[in-house]
Amino acid sequence: MSFLPNALISGFGDKLAYLDPGSGSFLIQLLIAALLGAGIALRASWSKIKRLFGIKPEVDEDAEDEEANEQ
Amino acid sequence: MPKTKKPTNSDRSPILGASFRDPSGFLFTDGGTLFRQVNRVYAENYDRLMESGLYDKLVKAGLLIPHQEVEQAPGEKEAAYKVLQPELVPFISYPYEWSFAQYKDAALATLSIQKRALKAGMSLKDASAYNIQFLHGSPVLIDTLSFETYQEGQPWVAYKQFCQHFLAPLALMAMRDVRLSQLMRVHIDGVPLDLASKLLPFGSRLWFGLLTHIHIHAGAQRRFADAEIGGPKARGGMSRQSMLGLIESLQATVKKLEWKVGGTEWGNYYDITNYSNTAFEHKKEVIAGWVERVNPALVWDLGANNGEFSRIASAAGIYTVSSDIDPAAVEQNYRRVRQQKENNLLPLLLDLTNPSPALGWANRERDAFDQRGPADMIFALALVHHLAISNNVPLPRVAEYFAGLGRWLVIEFVPKSDSQVQKLFRSREDIFNQYTKEGFEQVFNLYYSMREIIPVNDSERTLYLLQKRK
Repeated sequence: MSFLPNALISGFGDKLAYLDPGSGSFLIQLLIAALLGAGIALRASWSKIKRLFGIKPEVDEDAEDEEANEQ
Repeated sequence: MPKTKKPTNSDRSPILGASFRDPSGFLFTDGGTLFRQVNRVYAENYDRLMESGLYDKLVKAGLLIPHQEVEQAPGEKEAAYKVLQPELVPFISYPYEWSFAQYKDAALATLSIQKRALKAGMSLKDASAYNIQFLHGSPVLIDTLSFETYQEGQPWVAYKQFCQHFLAPLALMAMRDVRLSQLMRVHIDGVPLDLASKLLPFGSRLWFGLLTHIHIHAGAQRRFADAEIGGPKARGGMSRQSMLGLIESLQATVKKLEWKVGGTEWGNYYDITNYSNTAFEHKKEVIAGWVERVNPALVWDLGANNGEFSRIASAAGIYTVSSDIDPAAVEQNYRRVRQQKENNLLPLLLDLTNPSPALGWANRERDAFDQRGPADMIFALALVHHLAISNNVPLPRVAEYFAGLGRWLVIEFVPKSDSQVQKLFRSREDIFNQYTKEGFEQVFNLYYSMREIIPVNDSERTLYLLQKRK
């Protein structure tokens, strides 16, 4: 994963961040998150397209999250 | 109005032994009351938590411990911004004492909190399983100082900790063996991912969530252990959307993890009535009468199975810790707590022959089981034969240990002639001459006054209400 450009790599400037995020954990997180973020973007555009055709989105993510602790 | 600080029994300093890692603040006690000091260095983040509405939302959702800002002399004056008095958790439990579903709920609560925090422009700066406790039957975050202002571009600083404290143990419990939760007892900062990766079955690699967050993550940790990850002023990195994607992926992975005992349904797993209905009902009636008579504030039911008898106390509004050695019994107990929204019963996984020890730095971060007492009343029902015969603990030692745990003891003596004890002798010799009703009474009489002795109807067992001698 040495192809990661430096611009992708940010630091934890906050002096309250007392945890060591770990170099490997840090790098792999960026990679996984980029992939998953793209997934979310895709999902959002897909539901926009579906809405154009009058199909309502299946689940309201926020509502589901609000109930997460109720299960 | 500064008060004189009183040290607690177990502590040389009033600052709690587990409260030292995070410079944002710490817990301390004064006159037996628990306080949390917010340090000045954390002021901005604390104000944001309170003013953004995040605190109210989380407390309303039952995800964060409620607190009040109080006029109390701080634990360390120079650093102090505010002093909080949090709602008290009646019994602090640790991840290695949770059943699978308890652990899973704690993980999901952490992720739900992180999602809500992001919406309010904040983020969790740690994701320690020890920051989650069970209050009113549900997992809550007890560390009010876990939030920091979210800066877009910054990755989740607690990602590694979440994977070690939650994902790895849960995956191991679900996919390898539920007993692997005990790895948390050995590794104070969670299960190392390389170890989890080695122990997980090959099939876990075919699952995107576990492949990435555990296996590839472990590989990256090994490969990039010494990599420089940028100075404090570096910017850019991870978009909000990516952060959300990461949290949702962790959420989906945790939700998919399941544990079942031999494919049985939880409702049918435990058959409590291994003796007659009459005996069972009589036992319940006697215990209910004693609970009403003593009216304890805190009950510890040891060897509680799925909590049938614990509920006599908890239904009467008494906070009850319901512990057992069998992960499946504790699991069933907790599922019932959730299903019936019971709010003062805590199922706890505990091997009484080797109870949770004091752990962590200077052995003062995590309390041993008995350090979290004493309780007002101990239940030891259908338990003494397991300790005295299966585990060869001499009766005087059993009595001595129980006497250290609580003032009142409700104990059931199960004689050798009982079918459950006979089972224990199937494969071993009877070397327990002292294990008789008379021997039992003689020994327990040294530590306790016998308040009431009632033979259980339609059985050979006897119930005792004992009060500790002064």
